[in-house]
Amino acid sequence: MNRHAVREVRRQVRESGAAGFVAVVLVAVASAWGGALWTARAWVETELLASDRPATVVAVARGPAEAAALREAIRQRAPATGVSALSPRKVQEELANWFPELATVLLTLDERSFPPILEMEVSASEEAAIVPWLQARPEVTLVESSRAWQARLQRTISEILVAGLGLAVALLIGCGVVVLLVVRLLVLAHADEIAIMRLIGAHERDIRRPYLLCGSVLGATGGVLGALVLAGLWVLFRAVLPTLAVSGWTYGALPVGGALAGAAGASIGLASLPSEP
Amino acid sequence: MITLEGITKSYNGRPALRGITTTVDRGEFVYLTGPSGAGKSTFLRLVYRAELPDSGAIVVNGRDLTTMRRRDVAEFRRRLGVVFQDFKLLRRRTVAENVTFVLSLLNFPDREQQRRAYLVLKQMGLQHRMSAYPEELSGGEQQRVAIARALVLQPDLVLADEPSGNLDPERSHELMELLKTINYQGTTVVVATHDRMLIEAHPARTLFLEHGRVVKDAWVAAP
Repeated sequence: MNRHAVREVRRQVRESGAAGFVAVVLVAVASAWGGALWTARAWVETELLASDRPATVVAVARGPAEAAALREAIRQRAPATGVSALSPRKVQEELANWFPELATVLLTLDERSFPPILEMEVSASEEAAIVPWLQARPEVTLVESSRAWQARLQRTISEILVAGLGLAVALLIGCGVVVLLVVRLLVLAHADEIAIMRLIGAHERDIRRPYLLCGSVLGATGGVLGALVLAGLWVLFRAVLPTLAVSGWTYGALPVGGALAGAAGASIGLASLPSEP
Repeated sequence: MITLEGITKSYNGRPALRGITTTVDRGEFVYLTGPSGAGKSTFLRLVYRAELPDSGAIVVNGRDLTTMRRRDVAEFRRRLGVVFQDFKLLRRRTVAENVTFVLSLLNFPDREQQRRAYLVLKQMGLQHRMSAYPEELSGGEQQRVAIARALVLQPDLVLADEPSGNLDPERSHELMELLKTINYQGTTVVVATHDRMLIEAHPARTLFLEHGRVVKDAWVAAP
């Protein structure tokens, strides 16, 4: 890129004025939003939904005798599986702790009203086998697995992420449209220059490049601001979520994404240019 | 320098040029004259390749414009200087910037840009107005800046479309003297004008256009 192009880009950016500022702010908001969502997704997947984590399986037995038989059956099936049992009394106390407003009622009930529960930690592969096995057992009334809850949580989070990223993309498209309008305004303001540039032998690329770069610069600036906002959010949330981390890739992608959105908007804005006088 | 062979051009079915055949030799000074709508501007637009003819061939500086690829047009125009009635200066740029614009586009070093701008503006008598903006100049000065811009790349051919149209008679004569000087220095000059008195005051070969045809090709002498 020659000095002329550099000077022209600087001038176009300066002349884009308030409209250019709006474009930069929009890109910053869109990219910060997208980056935050992406970071949240990565954190949730690593911290909450890691597929290699052991799963907790809980089986509710029909009674104490069935619980003992079930424990023995589990020991025979998989001797290495650690099983902890919660007696009806313990279940009663746990429920009273969880629901203090119902504690009085719960604690007046006969402890035999509460079923014994067996809780075990199993590997991800073992979980897939043991859950149907437990469900088929006559001693068991209910089986719950943390993995099933994880799957539900993952589905919900995926839906939220898709909606959020959709919003980020919509915002980025909006940014592209704003940059398009900014570039169109610049082209209209410089129509005489463009016509004269053609006349004195400027190549098409010489004419378009400053506008395209102006769009990219506005987008990239917005992306950099978005990355700074994201870094600020990370500092804020780090105290609450110490394992939260923003990847360097995310920081790098925001200015690039902004620049691409700006360039795309600018290239549409340059679809038709004034011809020579 | 310029060869037109059977050139026709129409706009929305209305003919602007009808079978023009003529040549302009290197170093010549030629007027195009005729009433409004005779085809003078169309003639020039074809020569600087702003338009393509409907039929016929145009060769300028050895280049066939009808077959020229779009990307070669820019290079071709760098060997031309074009001057307009309304000057077409860049309003937001100073006189020097208007003149160096083409040089900066071609990535000339800054010092060379300034040197060339100074020399060409000095030739136009405007070296003291280099930092002025076009609106601060008189019509005659603006036209001289436009000529300086046209000359800064030392073109082989200068085309002027009604260059004196916005100037008073005195400035018009000064302008023609300037164009004549440029011509004496070896540049081919083609001037489109409907000002018969100007032609008579600065005699040269004249192509008379009417209804898109060359009706007379003659040397106009002073009355």
